[in-house]
Amino acid sequence: MIGCGRRHTRAVYLLLTVIAIIALIPFVWSVSTSLKSLEDAYAFPPSLTVDDVRWSNYGDVFEKLPFGRFLLNSAVIALAAVTGAVVTSSMAGYALARLPMRGKRVWFVLLVASLMLPSQVLLIPHFLMYESLGWVGTYKPLIVPAWLGGGAFNVFLFRQYFRSIAMDVEEAAVLDGATRWQFYRFVLMPMAKPVVVAVAVLSLLYHWQAFLNPLLYLSDFRKYPVSLGLRMYQTMAGTWVNLLMAASLIAVVPMVIVFFVGFRVFDAGRRGD
Amino acid sequence: MVKRSWRESGVAFALPWMVGMVTLTLVPMAVSLTLSFARWDGLGFDSIGWVGSAHYERLWPWSGGESVDPRAVRALTNTVAYSLFAVSLNLMAAMVLALLLNRRLRGMVVFRTVFFLPYLLSSVATVMMWSWLFNPRFGLVNRGLRVVCDFLAMWPGLDGFATIELPGWLYSEAGCMPTLVLMHVWLCGGPMLVFLAALQRVPMSLYEAAALDGAGRWRRFWHVTMPQLSPAVLFNLVIGLIFAMQTFDRAYLLYNRSQNDGLLFYMLYLYRIAFETPFRIGFASAMAWVLFVVIAVMVVPVLIVGRRVVFYAVRR
Repeated sequence: MIGCGRRHTRAVYLLLTVIAIIALIPFVWSVSTSLKSLEDAYAFPPSLTVDDVRWSNYGDVFEKLPFGRFLLNSAVIALAAVTGAVVTSSMAGYALARLPMRGKRVWFVLLVASLMLPSQVLLIPHFLMYESLGWVGTYKPLIVPAWLGGGAFNVFLFRQYFRSIAMDVEEAAVLDGATRWQFYRFVLMPMAKPVVVAVAVLSLLYHWQAFLNPLLYLSDFRKYPVSLGLRMYQTMAGTWVNLLMAASLIAVVPMVIVFFVGFRVFDAGRRGD
Repeated sequence: MVKRSWRESGVAFALPWMVGMVTLTLVPMAVSLTLSFARWDGLGFDSIGWVGSAHYERLWPWSGGESVDPRAVRALTNTVAYSLFAVSLNLMAAMVLALLLNRRLRGMVVFRTVFFLPYLLSSVATVMMWSWLFNPRFGLVNRGLRVVCDFLAMWPGLDGFATIELPGWLYSEAGCMPTLVLMHVWLCGGPMLVFLAALQRVPMSLYEAAALDGAGRWRRFWHVTMPQLSPAVLFNLVIGLIFAMQTFDRAYLLYNRSQNDGLLFYMLYLYRIAFETPFRIGFASAMAWVLFVVIAVMVVPVLIVGRRVVFYAVRR
């Protein structure tokens, strides 16, 4: 920006620091509670400082409930769903962007229309369908839809990106004897790396945080993902609020790592072209 | 053109998505629309009975009589009010933060990370943290307020502060909505990144040209930054409204504990109608379609106005 004087810069830093401190208060309070004993957590008046630091709470999170299992369940669901979303939405995006297809206009209109359709209209029919298929209580309702297009928004993103790639790239590859599948796999997808990363990271976050669908389809708590598992520290025999806060903090760590790695690849990919 | 096999056709690539479009979108839409005109407990097909538009009349507050469901109307007004306040304040916070962060200074990455961090929490973790932070008795917020009040009460004439009743936040019917709006403002990291990406694409030459023409800070903001930012505003506004109108997780988690009707969101009420006894699948389906129409009524005008106001660098 133009005209950033030194006083101006100092004011910006001050303002950002104050906002950052306010934004961090919920985290600070959670960390503080996660290190207290249960009696101290429910002491009155409450205090931010911890006299008797209990690092063992972070171990107890895994002892009292199968939290490791919850994390693993979430990872399995999220990875299976994200793989499906990236593969099938990029394939559909490729077809809609560059391939001859009967009724392409109609399909494209359907894509745009389904972008705007809120999911709750489909909630009940989906439940009835999965119930009649005997899928309730399994991970199939959480994973299979991702392998059938993986979300209109993702298809749309891939289509937009693939349209921006020049046609002669494809013609050259075809002249060299490549099939369309080889072109898609070995030329198009590597070129689309920033989009692949964006779609993968955003749908990973979506599936990691998903709450309503697991709530509807899973009843056995050993199959719970993290989002449902967290609640159990609250509902079983009172609230272990210290463990609840520790578990909440643990659950966000994988997403922080994914986003940091994702940002790097995304930035590198954008600089690359 | 060389004749290609079916395996090389566009349909082969799009097939999984097409199957999904038919089985997961088109057919369910037809089923849902049909069910919205029926009474059904979901337990067997012989129990379906047609009721015509009765479900829709229950959701139309001006249809008169006892047929209107007051809780559904309450849930809808709660949700619309929440969405308007939460989304507009969330976007304002996101834009202010993005503008503050958009400069080549050291440490901006650290601030960006801090502001984005809440966005990565799952809704369960967010709700747990906030209800503990705002717990009227054991939470940090009321503790802080109590200290401030006690301090104020030491001054002459202000001793009323010593006995003042502190807010119940998420635990009271009047306080829960403002607290949820505040929580949504805290979660502005996602839109902030969209604004930041848009700001970083604004060509420097535009600012230089404007400065040469004698434009001050404010005029540069209104005539250079805002037009360049307007596509991002439209995107965040539309996406934000659509998602806020479907708010479920927070309401469900908090409502289950307190049965506080201030937290009665539309999706929560729909869920309870559909999946709790007596399962009223038909009424819930009608509710879903009404919500779809309400969202369209909110979003379509925004898009129409947006088409005129938003500045795109490349006109199509």
